[in-house]
Amino acid sequence: MRRLFAAALALGFATAGAAQADDTLSPLHFQSQGVFGSYDKAALQRGFLVYETNCAACHALNALHYRDLEGLGLTPDEVAGIAASVKLADGSPATLDSRFKDPHAKATTFGGAEPPDLSNIVNARPGGLEYIYNYLTGYVPAPDGVTLLPGRNYNLAFPGNQTAMPAPLKGNDVTYADGTAATLPQEAQDVTAFLAWTADPNLDARREIGIRAVMFLVFLSIIAIANKRKTWRETV
Amino acid sequence: MSENVKQSWSATRLPAFSQWWARSKAPTYAPDGPYLAALPALITGLLILLTLSGLVLAVYYNPSHPFASLQFIAWNVANGWLVRGFHATGTTILFGTIYLFLFRGIATRAYKAPGELAWFATVALYALLLLTAWLGQTLTGGGAAYWSLKNAAQAAGLLGGAPGAVATWFFGGPAGHGTLARLVVFHIALALLAFALLWLYRAAAKPAAPIATGAKPVAFFPYYIAQYFAAFAILALIFSVFLFFAPHFGENPLDLVAGSDLVVPTTITPPWYLVPLAAMSGLFTSPAGAIWVVVAALAVLFALPWLDRSGPRTRHGGWYRFFAVLLALDILGLSLAGAAGPSLITAILTILFTFWYFLHFLVLTPLVTALEAE
Repeated sequence: MRRLFAAALALGFATAGAAQADDTLSPLHFQSQGVFGSYDKAALQRGFLVYETNCAACHALNALHYRDLEGLGLTPDEVAGIAASVKLADGSPATLDSRFKDPHAKATTFGGAEPPDLSNIVNARPGGLEYIYNYLTGYVPAPDGVTLLPGRNYNLAFPGNQTAMPAPLKGNDVTYADGTAATLPQEAQDVTAFLAWTADPNLDARREIGIRAVMFLVFLSIIAIANKRKTWRETV
Repeated sequence: MSENVKQSWSATRLPAFSQWWARSKAPTYAPDGPYLAALPALITGLLILLTLSGLVLAVYYNPSHPFASLQFIAWNVANGWLVRGFHATGTTILFGTIYLFLFRGIATRAYKAPGELAWFATVALYALLLLTAWLGQTLTGGGAAYWSLKNAAQAAGLLGGAPGAVATWFFGGPAGHGTLARLVVFHIALALLAFALLWLYRAAAKPAAPIATGAKPVAFFPYYIAQYFAAFAILALIFSVFLFFAPHFGENPLDLVAGSDLVVPTTITPPWYLVPLAAMSGLFTSPAGAIWVVVAALAVLFALPWLDRSGPRTRHGGWYRFFAVLLALDILGLSLAGAAGPSLITAILTILFTFWYFLHFLVLTPLVTALEAE
């Protein structure tokens, strides 16, 4: 209910401040889940930092331009700074209108497994958000009696348990500007929330417009039915 | 000359509008029309919405990169996600109204003389919109859509004779970029043909409309315009709930991902409005059998004016109405069995529900109507 009113009053769009993250890990949940959920902008910004630091070297985000990062609640100047720090393939710095840098990772480098584009990965994997989180936190030593294929790593969430990607997150890979402790579960959840946004960037706008449209149309329907009954009263 | 003096400049040169206005003020309508009488108008409105949103999508659509161009619309076109939502949810709501309209036509025996032609136009519109909607789904290039098109194009290649030649010409060979480019053209052309069928329906439904007897007839304006406005508002409310809170209703989740030659879905569940007919056709392994059962399912619907053995005086209600509701439940069961995916139980249920569908039209309808005829 609290989230309903927050969305209705557009308070959910307040720019991420210095507040630390709420505990969304126990039990695991994402603010964007549910009918009235909206993105946690602070989590998205932290998740982008994790992506840029730990994922971007191999995984592309080809659907995005750098200007799209304003959707995370960043100012145009901040986004321009982020873009300028990226060196594109030709050596020039990226601009707001550049596509995200594509690392062009080759399958041959990773034992035949091509690092997938992450733009839409949340939709592309059965289980969605929970699967991505469980996958990122699911690296454990192989149990006794399991012989790993060459170049494979043991992962509890991956179908077949042998995945080509080595554990990408170990905890304390980044330093969060808002002071949130960069534990492994926290990093995994933040980058998962960021990937939820890349798969459905218009969710906030859709639900914000939706609540207003539905409220308006409820009243319009009531008025239209009352008008019809009043008009027809004299005929019968 | 003196008669025309009072008429305005436009009324003299384009009398259609003033005639339309005069007609809408003439008291010729029954005074007890239900809200559902607005369904043809709602269907027309939805088709116009789909045409306009489809126009915007067509501007940005690229058949060489179908899925990427839809991602482009979501990321880079101002309110592109909303326009695409109008088109996708508009299709869902359009089929909701079409199914309701077909059910109402069966339950109220709207197909009886002199309403046969209006009924034929309705069934033809339903079949045409199914084809148009399937083409639209393949254009998304999603995981299920991609393989749905590939299977259809390959099945077309297996057909022999004239049907095979037409199908091969339609798809232009196995599914590729060239195929999508021509399906865009067919998608748009068939959608425009739907307007022609709607016009035929309206022209044929007018003489079949019940003449107002007994009670004082009313004019379209202001009585029915108020009713239509209320119907439109309620439809817009339902539309908004789906558009903003269930944007992927009845859609295969695989379609949220780009189709790939390397990722073959084990089952391809079509969008919800195609599921009943797809479940029937799934009972057959040969393309010809799958096509014929769909043609037969539409043909028995088409033939209702002859299958109904009651006389010109029809009685509402009774066992016929009961079996009409049962038919709706049968099609709902067929949809659920089709959506559940292949298994022994769903195969048995699909056979039973398909059997009941044809039993309803070919045996129960003639029997019950003949027994209930006066």
